[in-house]
Amino acid sequence: MNGIIEYCQNVRDTVRSIFEGMTITFSHFVRKPSTVQYPDRIAQQVQETLPLRYRGILEVDMDICTGCLACERVCPINCIAIGIEMNAETKQRDFTLFDIDICKCMYCGLCMEACPTGSIRHTQEFEGACNNPAGLVRHFITEKVPLYKPKKGGETEPRMIQKVDIGKTYMDEIAEPEN
Amino acid sequence: MSEDAAGTGLHTEDMTLNVGPQHPSTHGVLRFVVKTDGEVINEAIPDVGYLHRSIEKIGEKCTWHGYVPYTDRADYLAAMFANQGFCMAAERLGDVEVPPRGEYCRVIACELNRVASHLIAVGTFGQDIGAITPFLHALRERESINDLMEEICGARLTYNYLRIGGVGYDIKPETCARITAFLDHFEPIVDEYNRLLSYNKIFIERLANVAVISKEDALQYNLVGPNLRASGVQWDIRRDIPYSVYPELDFEVPVGRGERGTLGDSYDRYYVRIRELMESCKILRQCLDKMPDGPAVAKVARKFKPPAGETYVRIEAPRGDMGYYVVSDGSEYPYRVRIRTGSFTAMSIIDKISPGIMVADLIALIASLDVDAPEIDR
Repeated sequence: MNGIIEYCQNVRDTVRSIFEGMTITFSHFVRKPSTVQYPDRIAQQVQETLPLRYRGILEVDMDICTGCLACERVCPINCIAIGIEMNAETKQRDFTLFDIDICKCMYCGLCMEACPTGSIRHTQEFEGACNNPAGLVRHFITEKVPLYKPKKGGETEPRMIQKVDIGKTYMDEIAEPEN
Repeated sequence: MSEDAAGTGLHTEDMTLNVGPQHPSTHGVLRFVVKTDGEVINEAIPDVGYLHRSIEKIGEKCTWHGYVPYTDRADYLAAMFANQGFCMAAERLGDVEVPPRGEYCRVIACELNRVASHLIAVGTFGQDIGAITPFLHALRERESINDLMEEICGARLTYNYLRIGGVGYDIKPETCARITAFLDHFEPIVDEYNRLLSYNKIFIERLANVAVISKEDALQYNLVGPNLRASGVQWDIRRDIPYSVYPELDFEVPVGRGERGTLGDSYDRYYVRIRELMESCKILRQCLDKMPDGPAVAKVARKFKPPAGETYVRIEAPRGDMGYYVVSDGSEYPYRVRIRTGSFTAMSIIDKISPGIMVADLIALIASLDVDAPEIDR
């Protein structure tokens, strides 16, 4: 007799807990969905919604890169390759190479912290798929360009002021804790 | 082993089964060699090492700052804790003082990470037992935490947020407000999980009195973290060997009570994690209230060279006691880094507990120990 009562109680409890679970499941029919139809049916590009600190694919602004090699030295996996040579004509040093291997990069953000001008920075871009592995090495130098030298008393050229400011804004975002 | 079945004269022998390495319920690449007699297990031997990435050896080849991103990979579900262990070890060797705001930022990030990690533990537990819906509910909340992490440190999984001497970036006031909003939203959700999964009769029947680990066994086999506490042992590094700002915070250490069966059964190990979720929320609220102003990182040389010496640091990670034994020879590179993790010690008890339980209960045992294959092998 006891066995039958226990059996019936078990059945009752099981049915009750399934019903309890179902009330939660069914309540989601009237809640707002938390998923999106990536990549097609979204109102806004995901890249635009990401915070400034997001560590996406690296980019370098060669116009404000001083060639100090701090990023190359700090990188734990050596995915940054920089080549600099002396130009006999202009008596200045030129960049001959600035490659970042996106395949190797582990997006740790140590390079951007080391950068004195904020020229190397993580973008909000994260979609890196391509057909050819060679396409994953980003070349930032197509022809020889001289190294950037910060002018005493600040920049005067409007284009350069803008670039330096972008670098500074980015550095402020990173260097905030030391303030 | 062969014998005659009683009285029938028929020949019987144990069957050797492979569970894994590619099995959905082994939580990563992990293999069990199981000897079964019908549905009952006679022996289950874990075979680990499929995910060995020699993180410890890499430590000897990286600079002190450069090794921090590698520690993320020790346990991908709780990268913040691996960061903290190594940073604390380096700070102790180099005698670096972390500013108070840095410590609070660390605790906030770590406790958020603990919530995310326990959500995975709770969700996959349901999935292994056969309930897929709770897993999706748990991952939904974890996504919100990932979004918060993205705002705090810029990455969703491999955070690299902690630096030697503090944290990489300060937590902004608007992010603090978002964390508070998340907590307001999340705490009622835990009740929803309870109604959906924890108090479900079928779930309880599957776990209560299954794979009981006694207090003595848990201590002898060196279980740590929630698995140890579920067996009724009051032990939490945050409270007993305090580090960071935990002494200033008021929180409880949930201990298994054997509420649906025996003390130390699979249900206790599950429910301790649910209760830890609430404790972490409590810690987070206190931290957000108490957060002092000031710098979040101490000035540390780019070429960090701690004086020669050795140290062992213990922290309470979601999978228990995580230890970093770091030796410095005064150079730019660590001389030796040894990582001790909770999942590895949890593997040793499977051999002891599994004889006599059913094959389906082995899955419940593995799920309840919340092992994480990358953390076992490192």
